[in-house]
Amino acid sequence: MSLQMSEAEGAVKVEEWQQTFYASDSGIQSGATTIRDEEESEFCKKYSGSASAVESDTDVETQYSLTRAQRVRAAMFPETLVEGEAVLTTQNNPDQPTNVQRLAEPSQLLKTAIVHLINYQDDAELATRAVPELTKLLADDDQVVVNKAALIVNQLTRKEASRRVLMQSPQMVSAVVRAMQNTGDLETARCAASVLHSLSHQREGLLAIFKSGGIPALVRMLSSPMESVLFYAITTLHNLLLHQEGAKMAVRLADGLQRMVPLLKKSNPKFLAITTDCLQLLSYGNQESKLIILANGGPDSLVFIMRNHNYEKLLWTTSRVLKVLSVCPSNKPAIVDSGGMQALGQHLTGSSQRLTQNCLWTLRNLSDAATKQEGLDGLLHILVSQLGSDDVNMLTCATGILSNLTCNNARNKALVTQSGGVESLIHAVLRAGEKEDVAEPAVCALRHLTSRHPDAELAQNAVRLHYGIPAITKLLGQPHYWPVVKATVGLIRNLALCPANQAPLRESGTIPRLVNLLLKAHQETQRHGSGAQQTYQDGVRMEEIVEGCTGALHILARDPINRGEIASMQTIPLFVQLLYSYVENIKRVSAGVLCELALDKQSAEMIDAEGASAPLMELLHSPNEGIATYAAAVLFRISEDKSSDYRKRVSVELTHSLFKHDPAAWEMAHAAMPLDPGYIPDDLDAVYPPYGYSDIPMDGLPLDAELHEQYMPEMTYDPRQVYPNPL
Amino acid sequence: MNREEAPGKSPEEMYIQQKVRVLLMLKKMGSNLTPNEEAFLRNYAGVVHSQMSQLPQHPIDQGAEDVVMAFSRSETEDRRQ
Repeated sequence: MSLQMSEAEGAVKVEEWQQTFYASDSGIQSGATTIRDEEESEFCKKYSGSASAVESDTDVETQYSLTRAQRVRAAMFPETLVEGEAVLTTQNNPDQPTNVQRLAEPSQLLKTAIVHLINYQDDAELATRAVPELTKLLADDDQVVVNKAALIVNQLTRKEASRRVLMQSPQMVSAVVRAMQNTGDLETARCAASVLHSLSHQREGLLAIFKSGGIPALVRMLSSPMESVLFYAITTLHNLLLHQEGAKMAVRLADGLQRMVPLLKKSNPKFLAITTDCLQLLSYGNQESKLIILANGGPDSLVFIMRNHNYEKLLWTTSRVLKVLSVCPSNKPAIVDSGGMQALGQHLTGSSQRLTQNCLWTLRNLSDAATKQEGLDGLLHILVSQLGSDDVNMLTCATGILSNLTCNNARNKALVTQSGGVESLIHAVLRAGEKEDVAEPAVCALRHLTSRHPDAELAQNAVRLHYGIPAITKLLGQPHYWPVVKATVGLIRNLALCPANQAPLRESGTIPRLVNLLLKAHQETQRHGSGAQQTYQDGVRMEEIVEGCTGALHILARDPINRGEIASMQTIPLFVQLLYSYVENIKRVSAGVLCELALDKQSAEMIDAEGASAPLMELLHSPNEGIATYAAAVLFRISEDKSSDYRKRVSVELTHSLFKHDPAAWEMAHAAMPLDPGYIPDDLDAVYPPYGYSDIPMDGLPLDAELHEQYMPEMTYDPRQVYPNPL
Repeated sequence: MNREEAPGKSPEEMYIQQKVRVLLMLKKMGSNLTPNEEAFLRNYAGVVHSQMSQLPQHPIDQGAEDVVMAFSRSETEDRRQ
């Protein structure tokens, strides 16, 4: 508000003011409410001695007769002083301002406020008188008239008082909306859009726009070729989305998303920041909106922005949209395919904490869809370095992303292993403590690194070399959070593949912990019955724990000392029982561990004593080659000391399973081999011809010459050896 | 188990062949063999040689597969800044 009035104007103004509502006498002119004259005179007399320059005695006297009120008036309204009238200052010391001087600034502020009020009332009155007329003119058939009216209305929005009047008139706001959407004139549209934009800074204005159908009209303006119209429209819509209830639904219904997504191709960063924020407001928690964004090419444009801009606020708002979209199963692969992982990975080392964190959460959400992506080397390096952070959010994200990106991806596994990822992950596990959101993915990542890639052995050794084994074993202890236990058991299995790890694993007490977990989990499965019923704890099936523990013990049993320890813990009966499991994997690992344990004669006898032969015979027929192999091996090993009858039965079963899918060969073998109980000699010391038996017709059975040669002289007779077939 | 051998081999030959195969599979899967089993393979080196090429090329027992973790189950909103 301009205060540059001349003295005369000021005097007039005040006079006018006095004739208005504010007519009560404040004493500015008359001094009516000020201190009594006697006191003032006393005051003046007291300090008059040191008064500054005096022209003459007469002047001095005139000055002294001025009241303080007059001095205040003079200080506040110098423009109201009568010409020639000057105020003598009572200031004694230049460094010490007088009371009036001290009053000067606050009183100036008060004066400004008073003047504002005066003008406010003027503006309000003017606007109130003008609104009905302007409303009519905005609907005029003559576009020139409409244009002029729009210009005036736009001017009126510049002042607060008149702006308020406008927004309080629904008819006016409607007229502006109609004018904006019906006009063919760009300038009119611009003015109208500007009006709505001005009104959108107050709640009253937002409500007026909303009620007047402003949202569909503004959405239509998003297709305008004029940049300023676009700017006004998007900003107004943004304000509506932020503060007006019902606006989100209205924008969606007006196809706002379909119009906004194409705007992402614009280049103005501030415009883009508002647009992306609108998209985030519209799509948060609304699946349909996310799908519309996808259908209009949103992921591509958003990733482009992340890759090519560096305005922090824009990057932040865009990362928020990507974060919202990253939980949508349809958007996820689209973002990944557009290079989203690489683009987000560009912003993990900058100074904006909020941007870094948003990118990390988004990457974590996307990571399970990105296991086959290429070009992630840079991202993987950054994530490994972030494993050193103390920020739990950063650790949660880094471990989670690494766990997924190393899943079934040999290249990523090798890169992370070679970048010191094993050591960093061990430190993350140590720092995670009981934070499962860090511990579980960290252990899973280690599990991935220690198997199924050329550098797996390097990783297995690195865990030991970086003192990881005790820390990992500790994770098997109470309290059990089963997802972490499951991951740890799998990791231990992989670590045991490395012979150098067998002793450290044993020394850290892994075997008893695994056996106890196995027993506990198995008891749970038995308690809840078998078959279709499955027991879950923390989202993990106890059958998975049984399988994992047995699998780890299987590999640990490759070491002879471990093997002895495992057998000594009375585990053989349980392993034999597990051969009957309905879970194929459990059958496999239990056959596997028994196969290893059976290398020791004493254990082989125990296995046999537990009645393992029957289920093992069944498992010979398994279509799973691993299962059949282990079963056959255990049977070989437990039958070494057996009677010939037993060995015959085993050989028959083996043969039967061999010819299961080749009936003709089975028939032929049957014919050649009378199932005579005496065909395998009881007398184990007898020497038998290396091939053929007396009751087998030799002609018609071509013998492999090489086999014949090998068989004859070098064969060491071993009575325990199962004989080559009968016959 | 190899069930596709051409008929014509004697049962004993089939048996040796299959036992060799079982032992070779065990070795492939990383398991240990007894001294007798190692001797058996040495004795039938010819069969070993012919069986080696017939072993499955894919890994047989590598433990549990890698599994992804699904993090994007729920949407979280940060405070507007």
